[in-house]
Amino acid sequence: MDQAFRKIDIDIYDEDVLQESELYEADPRDPVEVLEDAKQRQAAVRSFLAKNDIPGALTIILDNAPYGPNVDDAKIITLQTLLTILNTTKSTEITGVIKGLSLDTQDTLMKYLYKGMAMPGWGDISGSVRLGWHEKLTEVAGVGCIVRTMTDRRTV
Amino acid sequence: MPEIYALAQTPITSHAFSADRSQLAASLNSNDAQIFTRQGAEWISTVTLSEHDKLITSIDWAPNSNRIVTCSQDRNAYVWQEQPDPETGRLIWKPTLVLLRINRAATYVKWSPKEDKFAVASGARAIAICSFDPENNWWVSKLLKKPIRSTVLSVDWHPNNVLLAAGSADMKARVFSAYIKEVDDRRVSFIRYCWLLNSRKVNRPAPTVWGSKLPFNTICGEYASPAGGWVHAIGFSPSGDVLAFASHDSSINIVYPNGPVIYNIRMPTLPLVSLTWTSEDTIIAAGHDCRPLVFSGTANGWQEAGTLDDATAPKSPESRSGFGSSSSVGRLKAGAFATFRDADTRGQSSIAGSASPTADTKVLTIHQNTITNVRPYAYSGTNVTKVSTSGVDGMLVIWDVDAVTALTGRLGGAHLR
Repeated sequence: MDQAFRKIDIDIYDEDVLQESELYEADPRDPVEVLEDAKQRQAAVRSFLAKNDIPGALTIILDNAPYGPNVDDAKIITLQTLLTILNTTKSTEITGVIKGLSLDTQDTLMKYLYKGMAMPGWGDISGSVRLGWHEKLTEVAGVGCIVRTMTDRRTV
Repeated sequence: MPEIYALAQTPITSHAFSADRSQLAASLNSNDAQIFTRQGAEWISTVTLSEHDKLITSIDWAPNSNRIVTCSQDRNAYVWQEQPDPETGRLIWKPTLVLLRINRAATYVKWSPKEDKFAVASGARAIAICSFDPENNWWVSKLLKKPIRSTVLSVDWHPNNVLLAAGSADMKARVFSAYIKEVDDRRVSFIRYCWLLNSRKVNRPAPTVWGSKLPFNTICGEYASPAGGWVHAIGFSPSGDVLAFASHDSSINIVYPNGPVIYNIRMPTLPLVSLTWTSEDTIIAAGHDCRPLVFSGTANGWQEAGTLDDATAPKSPESRSGFGSSSSVGRLKAGAFATFRDADTRGQSSIAGSASPTADTKVLTIHQNTITNVRPYAYSGTNVTKVSTSGVDGMLVIWDVDAVTALTGRLGGAHLR
């Protein structure tokens, strides 16, 4: 049976269709500004890592993380920097570090963990590190944190 | 101790009690609504209300006028009234059609406090405000449309009978004016007006914290949770000055419109889908976590106060067998994990030979699946003293509002370890 009709995007024939942009408040910052900001944070994180200050580095990179359309470069830089932080943390310290983060930062961290897991083989990090962080973050922040990652349209 | 009734093996879509709580209207995931009558410790199905030809989605029973309204996926609503049958003289429930004028499923229905209007939420990006038209002997509707962008999932009336709060799948909670001139602006005699004023039933909407001039479809407020998510449940506080809504980002929001101040409580558990205020400073909400949670606070702040379902309390042998000793191990390890481990290492199959095959699939809470409805059950003055819940597990539970247990260190049925 012909099933091609199932792939027709019927929403384009609807004048009153709900747009993605109506579902969340857009980032007021300019994409260029966001990219500059992401690069500056990358440098700041390096200095924090040199001092071995993992919570400080995580807070710097996760607060006001780029979201929404047109900021893909900034998102990639942020993800790259974050994965470096995750990689350099000793596995015994992870729980303590997560407990020190604010609720907002925990939610954003979960978003990046899922983004990282959606891009297997990308970046210089093994899957077990990401799964280790995911396990410990879920222990601290609960499944509610995962639910918020799935519902939040401000994707990172 | 909560009263537990197993009404059915199927999910209970919606339930509503009669004013004296001796009867209960419920839909068991079907096209029919059933009226159950209390007989001793049991609920016996006595009447079936069948008129809808698709699933019933919501039921509400008006306490004073004793009318039931049902709405369904067939895009219709019916108002049921008990009348004597012309031939036999027995009381039967007679349906009246409501002209909803919506082209998608109706999702939620609620009588207004004065019971002269009701609101039907729908998938047609609209809320139908229905009032009775005596000339034609049917219920007519007026649609609240703007600026709703998606399915409306729940509604709640302000005590002034005019304002309506709506939670929607476009991630917004809104407060509308549902002022219908024919209903809300009836001229009354001076003496009656004074009486109404005295008993706070005056017809003209007095100014509230939500606004003072209120023609139909005025938007008095629009709110969203920080992480978005469908707004599953919404409710005004008893005074109507505070609004609470629960959304699918596992959080509950309490809105004080002057400010506006919004308190957002994020939970580590699964999302809530139904809520009810029990007093000006307490909310009871429940959902996918299978147990009712209690939130308390004032204009200065809100927090989670605990749960009504004390999952670690001594269990009655019938309702909670098989989980006494496994408190340190999560449900997954004790249940599914153990099943597969035993099958793998010992060749045991819990399906065939186990002494209590159902024990492994029980969760720690009283409700065994998502709670879809929380309703006030008993009052003391304006405060609610008991609430009733029903859910996907086919159970109806009546809880004492005061029996709150702190949540610290306790694990719900669905909490992952």
